[in-house]
Amino acid sequence: MTTFSVAVGRPSARPLLSWRVRRLLVGYAYLVPAALCLLATVVLPIGMAIKMSLYNDVLYKPQDYQFVWFANYVRLVQDPVFWLTLWNSVVWVFGSVVLQFFAGFASALLLHESFVGRSLVRTVTLLPWIIPGVVVGLIWEWLYQPNYGVINDLLFRIGLLHDRVAWLSNPDLAMPAVVFTNVWRGIPFFAIMLLAGLQSIPDELYEAARVDGAGVLARFWHITLPLLRPIIVVAVATRIIWTFNYADLIFVMTNGGPANATQITSTYTLLQAYSSLDFGYAAALSVVLLVVMLVFTAFFLRVTRGVEEI
Amino acid sequence: MTVRRKPVDFAERILRGPVLWACLAALAAFALGPFIWMLLTSLKDRQELYATPLQYLPIHPTFENYVDAWTSPVTPFSRFFLNSLWVCSLTMVATTVVSVLAGYAIARFRFAGRDALLLIFLVTQMFPSVLLIAPLLTQWRALGLIDTYQALIYSNFSFTVPFTVWMMVGYFSSIPRDLEESAMIDGCNQFGALCRVVLPLAAPGIAATAIFAFVVSWSELLFAISFTTQTDMRTLSAGLLYMVGQYEVQWGPLSAGVIMSTVPVAILFTFLQRHLIHGLTAGAVKG
Repeated sequence: MTTFSVAVGRPSARPLLSWRVRRLLVGYAYLVPAALCLLATVVLPIGMAIKMSLYNDVLYKPQDYQFVWFANYVRLVQDPVFWLTLWNSVVWVFGSVVLQFFAGFASALLLHESFVGRSLVRTVTLLPWIIPGVVVGLIWEWLYQPNYGVINDLLFRIGLLHDRVAWLSNPDLAMPAVVFTNVWRGIPFFAIMLLAGLQSIPDELYEAARVDGAGVLARFWHITLPLLRPIIVVAVATRIIWTFNYADLIFVMTNGGPANATQITSTYTLLQAYSSLDFGYAAALSVVLLVVMLVFTAFFLRVTRGVEEI
Repeated sequence: MTVRRKPVDFAERILRGPVLWACLAALAAFALGPFIWMLLTSLKDRQELYATPLQYLPIHPTFENYVDAWTSPVTPFSRFFLNSLWVCSLTMVATTVVSVLAGYAIARFRFAGRDALLLIFLVTQMFPSVLLIAPLLTQWRALGLIDTYQALIYSNFSFTVPFTVWMMVGYFSSIPRDLEESAMIDGCNQFGALCRVVLPLAAPGIAATAIFAFVVSWSELLFAISFTTQTDMRTLSAGLLYMVGQYEVQWGPLSAGVIMSTVPVAILFTFLQRHLIHGLTAGAVKG
């Protein structure tokens, strides 16, 4: 290696790689740990799940382990419980997200006002969202408890109830009960998202509208809503995906019961994996979950391409 | 936040006054009520707990339930607590190191596929964790990692890393590039510039990211119940569920356990609020 081409009188040899390439290599090196993490805990497992879904893989029947093509998917299409769980998922997602959105929006508008002790109230309203799902499930199981639960007792006292209601073991009430719990948990998410959006709207707009004689409702309709639109789209879309995938709460509270009344697709997947130990079928179910989520995400990214960079 | 001018029109005055206060009170009560009920429950003795008609306030408040839960030999809550603390701390440290490096690389180096990579980090956040359970279980079993902390920590990466990388990219992008460049002219190499110039500036963001990784791992349930079989290896979430499954539900100790697992994250989270917004609006927060 000769050094004659180096203009400045540097004694060292010309580096094998140019500065630019070395810099790029350093950049890639920084990415390696994160890439390895994702490879080992996300990418490979997803590949494995897809492979599993093509096998008959029941944990306690290792002798039956074999490649079965799409048998698990055929079984899935013919499984009435699967279609029921899909419908339940729709009810669960729709009910949760719509109610969370409206309550969260209302909370955001409230918290945006200036009043004494605002930061305290903000922290307090955030609490339900940050605590572990198990904890939420257990708290509400205790509130719904038929004999010692405070919900029955309160409704009893104000005269709305005359008999004790077993909220979580009544097939008609179980779904509304878990949805309500999820709403309680999810309101803060919308509240802080939309609050962030509200705070980014310049006050001058409101001032100008006020000068032009716009009332509270007109200002809300013509300024707040249109300017919040991008953040609303992002919040609702991510929330729909999370809620669709979210299994902890129902798993803890009802485990999909009574009689599959609260069985959503993600808890049904868990049931197949834990109780039936049928990994092939569970994998097929989870691949369906993945596909639904990817289709929705693709759709969402298409829609929001115009409103990114908020 | 600027203080607004005094409201002028009538509707606004009504909305700002009594209606506002009533709504705020209702909101706070709705958010806090269930916790308060749980706290009251945890302070009651068995007799008060199962009294008919329902007794709202503990007449003889006692910490017996806390002691019971903490020292119980069947469901050793102290052990669950330490397990969670250990798993979440290690997850937090490892996640932070990994995501600082990756976040810095993505924010500073223009390489091919950078946008695609960011998108991948965002999309992996949305993968259902039920999808990962069966394959990860197979994987950890093959590696002999069932009932080890490693299995839980590695599994936690699947949801912490994508999010924290995303957050770090945001923090690093907000730090002006000139600072590092002048450090490099003064003789620092790239890594030196990162350590001496960028990291101190990004410290608050890094701290927030780290705490966030801790808090989300604290909530993790499904991996914890899937990859551990021994009572001694259960984390808090798994342990609480185990307390329910053990026999007839003991609501006294259980409510104490619930309160004890809530308090640490609640405290940590009050520091985080401000920093969360960036990650949230990026659509990358799980919860």
